Amino acid sequence: MSHAMTAARSDSLPYLGYGLGLRIDHYEALLARPAQVQWLEVVSENYMVDGGLPLVWLDRFRERYPLVMHGVSMSIGSTDPLDEGYLARLAALAQRVEPMWVSDHLCWTGVQGVNLHDLMPLPYTEEALRHVVSRVQRVQDRLKRRILLENVSSYVSFAQSQLTEWEFLAEVAERADCLILLDINNVHVSAMNHGFSSLDYLRGIPVSRVQQFHLAGYEQGERLIIDTHDAAVSNAVWELYVEAVRRFGRVSTMIERDDHFPPLPELIAELEHARALAEPLLQDAA
Amino acid sequence: MSSLQAIQLQMLEAVLAAKTSAMPPVRSDAIADAHSRLSVYQHGYRIRLRDALKNELAGLQRMAGRSFDALLDAYVETHPSGHYNIRWYGAGLANFLEGAHPDRPHLSEMARLDWAISTAFDAADEPSLGMTQLAGIPPDAWANLRLQPQANLQILICAHNVDAFRRAADRDAARPHVRRYARPRRILVWRQAMSVHYRRLDEDEWQVLAATQRGDTFAALCAILAERHGETAAMGRMVALLQTWVAAGLLRSLG
Repeated sequence: MSHAMTAARSDSLPYLGYGLGLRIDHYEALLARPAQVQWLEVVSENYMVDGGLPLVWLDRFRERYPLVMHGVSMSIGSTDPLDEGYLARLAALAQRVEPMWVSDHLCWTGVQGVNLHDLMPLPYTEEALRHVVSRVQRVQDRLKRRILLENVSSYVSFAQSQLTEWEFLAEVAERADCLILLDINNVHVSAMNHGFSSLDYLRGIPVSRVQQFHLAGYEQGERLIIDTHDAAVSNAVWELYVEAVRRFGRVSTMIERDDHFPPLPELIAELEHARALAEPLLQDAA
Repeated sequence: MSSLQAIQLQMLEAVLAAKTSAMPPVRSDAIADAHSRLSVYQHGYRIRLRDALKNELAGLQRMAGRSFDALLDAYVETHPSGHYNIRWYGAGLANFLEGAHPDRPHLSEMARLDWAISTAFDAADEPSLGMTQLAGIPPDAWANLRLQPQANLQILICAHNVDAFRRAADRDAARPHVRRYARPRRILVWRQAMSVHYRRLDEDEWQVLAATQRGDTFAALCAILAERHGETAAMGRMVALLQTWVAAGLLRSLG
């Protein structure tokens, strides 16, 4: 067991156990509160509405589960100004939900007022680093809380990059004093697509910054792996998850499925597999 | 312009273009060349926007049939998204269809009804006026009373039977034929509690409901009905409309 596994976390956010991403297909089944699902992650934008059924459902789940908010539109890396309207909505939702934490992605989603609705990778340069760090600090001031940033799957890299992706992510977290949502599937997808070592990636991430894991599935394309989040977690990702547990220790873990939703018991079975892999390692370390 | 901004603009242009003209500084390697790598984003962009539209356009899908995807693709290629939430991407579709297909006006009417239903779904929650509140109004206060309708209430003018297509989609029923009315009709869209409803309005109900939206007094509403039905019948019709509106949750408050 690595020394890192026992390292104390620098934050005071709680450990939530094993959870799922909340999706409409599983609303009814999750209201029954299956014991294996300890917490839920909601997509912030789905509930940034004026009223109606989405907020009714959200309130129901808020009564039954610890919730975390996960956004897809903060566009923290964009060179457009931060969208104050978006941040106001996000802050209002956070006030209503009182989530355990708020996360988004280390990426940009649009520029010049056009939104690509995709998690676009950044060039890993000192310029981009300074830009992102300054914006994370402003967002954290606005939300009055530290945020988590998630590593994205990527298919392109830029000639200008001076740092590796993990060096960039680690530097953002350290300089902006934010936390990391480590998507194990995304590490694997990007590692395969760019030819780097996923273990080097894990070793480059500071243990004290990692607050949450995502586990998900992908699709094998002709040349590239496509991060679809619409399939079961692959063996390669399970293996990487074991390495992540060895390095980062007890981290709140969830299965994130965004499409081709199976019946809830199938996702719970995946969650139980995660638990079965992680708990023996964690108990050995205790 | 900063290097970061230049890269983002190049990537934006490359994704928006169906075919890449100017290549961003994307690396090629033994795994995949830059074109293959960029195409993942180009393809994903179009799929995501099209899927977001499909979620909100059940009636148009039923009406357009096999040409539905082509209609959406034409919109996607010409209308970049300007909102952070993809849920709002379809806001301009009806206007686009109106301009792109002047020979098929039923398409834009259909998109307008679908969009009205979509926006009512997550509109702001408001209280509903009950019969007990109306019963408590003194007789001499009625004339100057203003009935305030729900803010999510929308009245659409339709020259075609678009509601029949939406109903067919909602009930998974057979596709009806497009029919053009001799005179345009009005369709009311509103949300009661958490359920979105739509129905055709009779001419007099439309006139009176539109007057409540303008903020006309109750006396003015009665005058509209009196002109159509005569003084005696007007009061009975007004009472019937009030009962219908209260039962359907169309009214928010009194002013």
